Amino acid sequence: MSFKCIIFNTCVKYNDSSLFVNDNVADTADRGLQFPDLCYKHLTSFVFSHNTIKKYWLLMASLESIGRFILQITASLRDTIYFALLVITRIFQLSSYNSATRTVLVNQIYFTSVQIIPAFLTASIIFGSLFIGIVFHALKGLGLSDYLGNVLMGLIVTEISPLFTVLLLTLRSASAINAEIAVMKVNNELHSLEAFRIDVINYLLLPRIINGMVSMVLLYSLFSIVLLISGIVFSGVIFGMSMDAYTNILLNSANFYDIVLTLVKCALFGFFITLIPIRFGLRTSDELTSIPVAVSSGMVNVFAAIIIIEVLLLITKII
Amino acid sequence: MHAFLDKNRTQAAPVSVDFPLISNQETWMNIALIKQYHENMPKDESQQFVFTCLRRLGIEHVAFKRIVALSEEEAFCVMLLRAAMIQKAIIVIDRPFIIIPHLKDVCFIFQMLEKINDLYYSCHVYDYKWMADKYGDLCQ
Repeated sequence: MSFKCIIFNTCVKYNDSSLFVNDNVADTADRGLQFPDLCYKHLTSFVFSHNTIKKYWLLMASLESIGRFILQITASLRDTIYFALLVITRIFQLSSYNSATRTVLVNQIYFTSVQIIPAFLTASIIFGSLFIGIVFHALKGLGLSDYLGNVLMGLIVTEISPLFTVLLLTLRSASAINAEIAVMKVNNELHSLEAFRIDVINYLLLPRIINGMVSMVLLYSLFSIVLLISGIVFSGVIFGMSMDAYTNILLNSANFYDIVLTLVKCALFGFFITLIPIRFGLRTSDELTSIPVAVSSGMVNVFAAIIIIEVLLLITKII
Repeated sequence: MHAFLDKNRTQAAPVSVDFPLISNQETWMNIALIKQYHENMPKDESQQFVFTCLRRLGIEHVAFKRIVALSEEEAFCVMLLRAAMIQKAIIVIDRPFIIIPHLKDVCFIFQMLEKINDLYYSCHVYDYKWMADKYGDLCQ
């Protein structure tokens, strides 16, 4: 049976019980809910106790917000996967590449991988050396000197380095890409490209995404090299280890599967830290004020993607 | 105008404020992009070609400038050259006096078109009726 519940905006006293009323109309039958303590006030309205209705609305509100959140996440995930598949298809199509695409790709690699080198090297040396020093010191303190190689290759090179690199790259390049695409969208520049029959995905997106993957792998390698070189210094100072002994420990601890998995992880990071900002940039409306909204949503989603990839690969590693 | 652009999709080359230049690229790259993308012309070759074209319009000094640094006339010329890069281009100039508001008549536009007349197939100018006096005898 379908019935309407009309509730008014004021509180009134009825039969010595406190009554809560609102002017919303709720189709209770459609929601499949039963109202306890329900009593008719007149033909189209019901009156029930304050606590019951408060609990009901709180429950409904929380259920609705959870449902809305899940729907949003599902839709966003579905769109991202669809967009990622589209881009992957284009990556393997030879017709996607031409002189213009190559020019953009070279420029992007220069902006992302080459221009960043001084700052990246400085950060790598400072952070890497300190981190290696602390880890080596802790290992010595705990009497775990035998596990030096495993910690170095299994934790620092395969886990910490990619994470540090992806965070730096996200802060510098992903945010820039997000803002760049959003500005182009607001300025109607994407419309210009379409008018001249230039495919936006092939010309703008593909070079940036390939650049993200290439730069991520290259910068990760650079960071790892810096860390390993710092390791030579600290292993000598803390453990009194020679360079040959250090190299032997590293080679014995190196696992080919782990290194391949780490490179795949870096490429995945690179793919998503460029794909997601681009997607959010493209979703910008025609208003200038939508640019910061697009950039912040894009960045939040990039960080979520980084965590998801990291967790999934850790699970893969454990299995 | 949009119907005309749709009808001549492969050759139509708009010059309009609705189709702005790409702001994160230098001037020469905006023009060379069309040749590089549609004809796969190598970067160096397309750069040389664009420089020759810019020289013909007397604005080779803007080649390495960004779009925001261009004057209205220079921006119009760059838009015109970009349009002319399409093979057998049918250039469609949309409300030129919005692109260069201070122009008194259409002479400047025709002078520029004259300088690159071998680069395009035909040219159409769209404007409001009340701008007819700016076009002189052309609108009779």
